[in-house]
Amino acid sequence: MGHQDGDAPPEANPDDTALKLQGISKIYPGTVALHKVNINVKKGEVHGIIGKNGAGKSTLVEIIAGITTPTAGKIFIGGEGYDSLSRIDARRKKIAIVPQEPQLILDFTVAENLFISDYTRWGWLINWQGLYTRAEEIVKKANLHINVRVRAGDLSVSEQQLLLVLKACYVEQSDIIILDEASASLAQRDEELLYRIIRERKGGGCTILFISHRAEELLKVCDRVTVLRDGHSISTKNCRELDRDKLSDLIVGEKFCRHIKVDQGQLKKDLGETVLAVENLTRLGVYQEISFQLKKGEILGLAGLRGSGRTEIFRGIVGIDHPDEGTIFVNGQRRCYRSPAAALGDGIVYLPEDREREGLISNLSVRENLMLNALDTVKRGLLLNRSKESRAVADLIKELDIKVASPEQEVNQLSGGNKQKVVVGKIAAAGPQIFLLDEPTRGVDISAKQGILNIVRNSLCREAGIVITSPGLEDLINICDRILVLHRGRITGEFLRGNLRESDLFSAVQGGAQEKCPGLVASYVS
Amino acid sequence: MPRKLQIELFLLDNLIWVLLACFFLLNALITPMFATYGNLVNILYHSAIMSMLVLGQGLILVSGHLDLSLESTLVFAPGVAMLLATRWLPFQLDPVTTIILTLAIGALVGLFNGVCIAKIGVNPFLQTLSLMIILRGLVLFLVPLSIFPLDKVYTFAGQARMIGNIPVAVPIVFIIFLFFHFIMQYTAFGRHFVATGGNARASYISGINTGRMVIYAFVIAGFLAAVAGLLAAGRQDSVSNTMGEGMVMLAFAGAILGGASLEGGKGTPLGMLGGALLLGMISNSLNLLGVGVTLVYATQGALIFVAIVLDRIRIKRRNYLLHREQVRRLLIQEQGG
Ligand SMILES: Nc1ncnc2c1ncn2[C@@H]1O[C@H](COP(=O)(O)OP(=O)(O)OP(=O)(O)O)[C@@H](O)[C@H]1O
Ligand SMILES: [Mg+2]
Repeated sequence: MGHQDGDAPPEANPDDTALKLQGISKIYPGTVALHKVNINVKKGEVHGIIGKNGAGKSTLVEIIAGITTPTAGKIFIGGEGYDSLSRIDARRKKIAIVPQEPQLILDFTVAENLFISDYTRWGWLINWQGLYTRAEEIVKKANLHINVRVRAGDLSVSEQQLLLVLKACYVEQSDIIILDEASASLAQRDEELLYRIIRERKGGGCTILFISHRAEELLKVCDRVTVLRDGHSISTKNCRELDRDKLSDLIVGEKFCRHIKVDQGQLKKDLGETVLAVENLTRLGVYQEISFQLKKGEILGLAGLRGSGRTEIFRGIVGIDHPDEGTIFVNGQRRCYRSPAAALGDGIVYLPEDREREGLISNLSVRENLMLNALDTVKRGLLLNRSKESRAVADLIKELDIKVASPEQEVNQLSGGNKQKVVVGKIAAAGPQIFLLDEPTRGVDISAKQGILNIVRNSLCREAGIVITSPGLEDLINICDRILVLHRGRITGEFLRGNLRESDLFSAVQGGAQEKCPGLVASYVS
Repeated sequence: MPRKLQIELFLLDNLIWVLLACFFLLNALITPMFATYGNLVNILYHSAIMSMLVLGQGLILVSGHLDLSLESTLVFAPGVAMLLATRWLPFQLDPVTTIILTLAIGALVGLFNGVCIAKIGVNPFLQTLSLMIILRGLVLFLVPLSIFPLDKVYTFAGQARMIGNIPVAVPIVFIIFLFFHFIMQYTAFGRHFVATGGNARASYISGINTGRMVIYAFVIAGFLAAVAGLLAAGRQDSVSNTMGEGMVMLAFAGAILGGASLEGGKGTPLGMLGGALLLGMISNSLNLLGVGVTLVYATQGALIFVAIVLDRIRIKRRNYLLHREQVRRLLIQEQGG
């Protein structure tokens, strides 16, 4: 393990190394997160770290950034060796990190969040005016249009993520920048900004560690990648010699089957009755005049850029943020929910986009989280039937391939992608009639993604209607019977399965449809 | 933004002062003898001790924790300092040293709490609950009744009056509040302190020593409780073992009325001053109206409840106003474009 079988040239010049890890191990109670990992990162390169969910990527970079202490091993930064670093040491060594779960102080302004660790000062006083001016400069330099005086909590998820990237790249003036799935929650437009920032920083001599689950992106951004598998470092490769398939094989470790086992291209004919009908739903400034119908057994995709109103429509339907106008019919009856609990009573479950804050109860166990919505199904009288519960939990864990030490493990000890699987398992367990799934595959590795999509396509939709969104159009094309295109809060197009070209869909999502026939719903159905 | 909305938001953000003003006007009209110079000075004087606890509790809430032991620190610090000064040491301590000793003991109690919570990871509720009981018990053991009389210099802060018959305690308290308000708003230390309460993990990753911030919070609060103890001892010219009993819950009420929140990262020292003054004003007016002491206590309890509900309503109203403003702007845009 840990040998370098890539063609990284033998170290001619030791000055070339920005960061070296030697035999790093991390043992959590019940889990070996990292086992004798060796990595060599060269100065000025973008170094990708890839692997399945729970492979240990986040743990590894947290050790480098001084957030977690390793159990064994040595870290060499610029030639000096350390057994472990504290966060403050790591900052002194000019290491910045954007962690996987966005970390902002929501009540502080954008400017203050940027400069939280290094205030512009006059002596020991804060120079507020200078703070705002400098923040504005940085935001402008990155071509971002946000007001630095608003609360960070008022930004969109994507903007919050970019804010953290800006902080790591421009404010902290670091030599080593770690981006842990920084692109996972970015809007498409903002992705380009991120790539530009990375290129710019690389040009400025920074070394960047980049974690992502998206193959194209890795190939585009990285110079070399290191593969982690189950806590072992498998190899380091030059990106020039890789393509998508090779990358996938490296991550998963065996020949990877890239296809969903469904009747590709066939329209489902035996759809049931309409379970959900939405008419003229409007929340001013967020989405307008949204109308669609969903039948039992149907998978309806909502395609749109981040910020096009997908999440907000879901939130409107289940009663988190009330729509200003419009009606919702469930099974033909008019409904208006005041809370997600009321919606759940009618068999509507909502999978939130923000799993940390809305999807999980992080200090409960995996078992308790999985069964939270489904306690009714394992009840015997007033009591819970524990053995039935355990069986249901074990089935879900197996079906979704959730990597846990035991079902009693606390959810906040899982890796990011495994948390996401728990969220999906949790709502699947309830057996509802309508699923509203907001990005169920965000941040999960390729094999788990196929797993989740397979479950959606082959088992969830048997008894229910599903509305789904996804960061990639490809996923929607693969599993949806019908796709609605959202642009700036309006439905601007409709595509049926077996009758669509990816390029058409792509341009519609980018707003192409609306430019051609403004105000009208473009129809691509032949 | 239209002027009316701006004003409304401003009032919501400073709700405590609005409440204070309303309550003041109401009492000026219905309560006899309320709006006299003497009584107003009296309110300030009587609020002084509570306000120190409110500030201490409020700052701990800002840092994302809570401290139940403040009310015991209030009596423990002057009690032990006096015992050291007069009985335990072979020589007499001069009163200034005793004052410094009092404050140092308060800070040390805070340091102990802070270290246990930040470094060992003890739950703050349990930690400070146990210390509240331990310290009170120790005081009951060490000071069977009360220690008196005290030195004139020691009681100066709590008892002396200056021009206009204003107690020196009042300016002392105001200066302390202004000092902390300034620190929290305008120094990096203050902002790091607030950030720690707002999101501890984010602050830690940003390179803030969050453990140290939590320790500072408890040390400051212990110190302020000792100041409160000094003022209380001065006012009654003795250290009695029941001083401060039951005050910590009211300190929560004052801090929350003043804008702090159990979630941390919220509230300013000046807001907390408003909260403390409102508490003082309420008990004063109930006294003047001849309401019994026990009922005053119940009323203050009800006030905690009202404080929490008001805070929620305030946040809802604020979000509603902002949403309405957004919608209005959009409509204008659509008409314009
Ligand atoms: N605090 C913790 N306690 C116990 N186990 C933990 C803890 N944090 C992480 N682990 C375990 O360590 C392993 C590696 O987790 P890590 O977060 O590094 O994975 P990852 O590669 O980043 O995955 P993902 O792609 O899902 O983010 C996982 O099996 C996880 O359950
Ligand atoms: Mg991770």
